[in-house]
Amino acid sequence: MKFKIVLGIVFTIVIIAGLSMPMVPLPQRWYELPIIPGLEERARIIFFHVPAAWVAVIAFILSLVYGIQYLKNKKIDYDIKSVSAAGLGFLFCILATITGAIWAKFSWGAFWNWDPRQTSIFVLLLIYGAYFALRSSIEVEEKRASLSAVYAIIAGISVPFFIFILPRIVASLHPDPIINPQAKIHMNPKMLVIIFASLACFTGIYYWMFKLKVCITRLAHQQQFNKEN
Amino acid sequence: MEFLSQNSLYIVLFIVLICWIGIYGYLFSLDKKVTKLKKLINKE
Repeated sequence: MKFKIVLGIVFTIVIIAGLSMPMVPLPQRWYELPIIPGLEERARIIFFHVPAAWVAVIAFILSLVYGIQYLKNKKIDYDIKSVSAAGLGFLFCILATITGAIWAKFSWGAFWNWDPRQTSIFVLLLIYGAYFALRSSIEVEEKRASLSAVYAIIAGISVPFFIFILPRIVASLHPDPIINPQAKIHMNPKMLVIIFASLACFTGIYYWMFKLKVCITRLAHQQQFNKEN
Repeated sequence: MEFLSQNSLYIVLFIVLICWIGIYGYLFSLDKKVTKLKKLINKE
């Protein structure tokens, strides 16, 4: 319970700070942020867009890990965890796509430009859309769990390629991500604090939603099992 | 659109709203599932 209260308070502070800390040409006071040429106030989107994409990556990797666990132990609980992680990853991937598209409209001129980063996130959405289609097409539980675990592993392996490698191979309009080819963080320290706090909050909320989803799916599964026997 | 490009803080606000709607929508669907389960359990 403590964790949820702290998360609520910190998240509120992050949203307020992200939205209201003034952007000035030469920041002097602790609460002032620098103006980023070409982005101005839109630079604040980074506090919410990047964490959404970050959580999607974590969720897809978790789905892969639980997929491996399922194939190793053949326990249905791992399948429940794998599908719950993938579902939440899909949700955050959609959020990152929508927020990115709005940002693109005002920075690049159109909602969708088929930029390498937009293309790669679109392909990821298709991959995980197919994952859910695959799951819903198989009725036998064990077969469904095994096949989707294998699919989750293959899909999970492709995630780092689409998120970290592909956009760096091809020229992109997308600004340098926080982790860039020089392995250096080029950002104002105050903005970095907000973005890392936001990353922590989004991860926290993901953890909370994941636990809830797993708990509900487990109960529903138990209910189904009791009904059948 | 012109208003938004001149007052870009509203774009940020809009994006926060989208994140909130996504998270809220998901929690709402989870809540519906819990209610359904509760009804099923109470029936038994």
